[in-house]
Amino acid sequence: MNLAKKLSNQQENIKQPAAKDISQYFDFSRKSSTVVILIAILVVIGYFIWWLNIPFIEDIFTAGTITLIMTLGFQLFMGNSGILNWSYVGYVGIGAFASAIFSMTPAVKTMQIPTMYPFLINLHLPFPVALLAGALVAMTVAAIIAWPLMRLSDAVGAITQFALLIVINVMLSQWSQVTNGPRTFTLGGKRLTTLWVALGVAVLVIIAVYYFKESSLGLKLRATRDDRYAARSSGINFVAVRYCAYVASAFIGGLAGGLYSHYILSITAASFYMSELFMILSMVVIGGSMSVSGAFFGTLLVTLLRQFLRQVELFLTRSGFEASGSTEIVVAVLMIIFLIWQADGITGGRELSWRSIKRRLPSGSKKRNKVLKNKKQEEKA
Amino acid sequence: MESKSTFSVKELNKSFAGLKAVDNVSLHLETGEVLGLIGPNGSGKTTLINLMTGMLDKDSGHISLDSHNIGEMPAYRVPFYGLVRTYQTIRIFKNLSCLENAMIGALGVGTKHREAARLAVGLLEELGLGDKIDLPAQSLTFRDQRLLEIARALAAQPKFMLLDEPAAGLNEEETDELLSLLKPMPHSKKIGIIIVEHDMRLIMNLCNRLHVLNYGKTIAEGKPEDVRNNPEVVKAYLGSAAS
Repeated sequence: MNLAKKLSNQQENIKQPAAKDISQYFDFSRKSSTVVILIAILVVIGYFIWWLNIPFIEDIFTAGTITLIMTLGFQLFMGNSGILNWSYVGYVGIGAFASAIFSMTPAVKTMQIPTMYPFLINLHLPFPVALLAGALVAMTVAAIIAWPLMRLSDAVGAITQFALLIVINVMLSQWSQVTNGPRTFTLGGKRLTTLWVALGVAVLVIIAVYYFKESSLGLKLRATRDDRYAARSSGINFVAVRYCAYVASAFIGGLAGGLYSHYILSITAASFYMSELFMILSMVVIGGSMSVSGAFFGTLLVTLLRQFLRQVELFLTRSGFEASGSTEIVVAVLMIIFLIWQADGITGGRELSWRSIKRRLPSGSKKRNKVLKNKKQEEKA
Repeated sequence: MESKSTFSVKELNKSFAGLKAVDNVSLHLETGEVLGLIGPNGSGKTTLINLMTGMLDKDSGHISLDSHNIGEMPAYRVPFYGLVRTYQTIRIFKNLSCLENAMIGALGVGTKHREAARLAVGLLEELGLGDKIDLPAQSLTFRDQRLLEIARALAAQPKFMLLDEPAAGLNEEETDELLSLLKPMPHSKKIGIIIVEHDMRLIMNLCNRLHVLNYGKTIAEGKPEDVRNNPEVVKAYLGSAAS
């Protein structure tokens, strides 16, 4: 081999260091298994309940699935940014009212809400379009007001969000020409959010929220949650990444709101306030706010617990004890206990993945021990 | 021929409530060089780093990297032009994995996801964190957290890196290891390094030039051996160590 060739070869070697094989960090068990497992659990439970065909249980599942969409949207912002987003439930309310107004027929609107603006009365969209449009309204409101709020962090950030919730709630409860004011807003017609509609949307939202978290944008946002200054000096504009997540979160909240109003069929502004926020927050905290799996299992666990406690409450009340409200107390105390001893929730802030399951399985740990043993022997040799 | 980049600071000033923290400081650096920034406690070294990276607003002066006037940019734009830093008090993303921590450095300057992962894996292996890629950063030892911060900074593929007391809290053995990792970097990675450090052994072994601050003012600059014998430096800073 002549010298020139050798030199050029060397130069090529310098220019292109051996490309790292990173495929193992992007394989199925790491990157996608979480979504598949969560969706599988939801669909299996949903199918089983549909097959059982008991309206009471079907209702619990449908309502629970709508709540799941709410907690996922809440987790999208709070879990990744670390800012307690009180105003979230306000966007759920905006989506609920907006999509209801879009989907109701003019005849029903004139009858139910005679004070409504004429241009809103004549607006009529099919349910899926109305649902999306409602979510877009919530998102637009968030997009307009959020930018100056996103530079605020920690307690200040949470307090501003709280003040914002008050503003949204008063708007919803006093704007008679749109929301029928403090009176009940009745949708009329039949229930459009069926078990399968809620399930279908939930599946899409699980996918969206998980891949948002794993995306470059989501990763940057999680970095700002852990250390704002280090993120800034790494080139991250934390106002911008927070803003994107906040607006996306409002969209999912609006979507959940639309499903909710077309499920429950009569809403008031009070349906989207403190007690609902407390419910969502308790689910995310108990599950573990930093992971999508946390929001998922938190919702599952707290929904089951609340149903159980409600039955206990009913039983006690029937047998002469005054026990109303005890469900909320138990859930609140549970939340406090978690915050003291297990602040990262039952999932510990991690995602449930095929890898984490394999590790727990006895065969998995055996294999690992074997690998460790081999390593040790190699080191000895 | 490899073109060199230049980082230069001209007549930089910063006061805190009347106290001059940085007083008319000028310095410049080319890629391939290591500049040691030394001085007694409270002499303005960290303030200077904060000013250079835009984390603090300067009162007056110019900071430029090649033709870019980075002194007028928000802190999050500075890495895009090739200037990154580490912190004296470790600032890592404790809930993210090592891989994700290092990836942030690359993603922050607009590198694509896969490419960022490739860079991050390469750097983590290079710095000896290869077997800890999946661990959450908060579970690492102090030494590994320091190295992780350096990996994150390097993942941005910078032209200049500012290290704020990288050996603080490390024992002698770990400091030697850090030295052997940093020593080849100016050439292998074609970067310029500004290092703030109290460990004189590290400084003397690593730096081509030293820049000495006292009460925010430059009191000496030049080759390490010259600076070491400068009477003013001996008086202000090395006094106890030299005697």
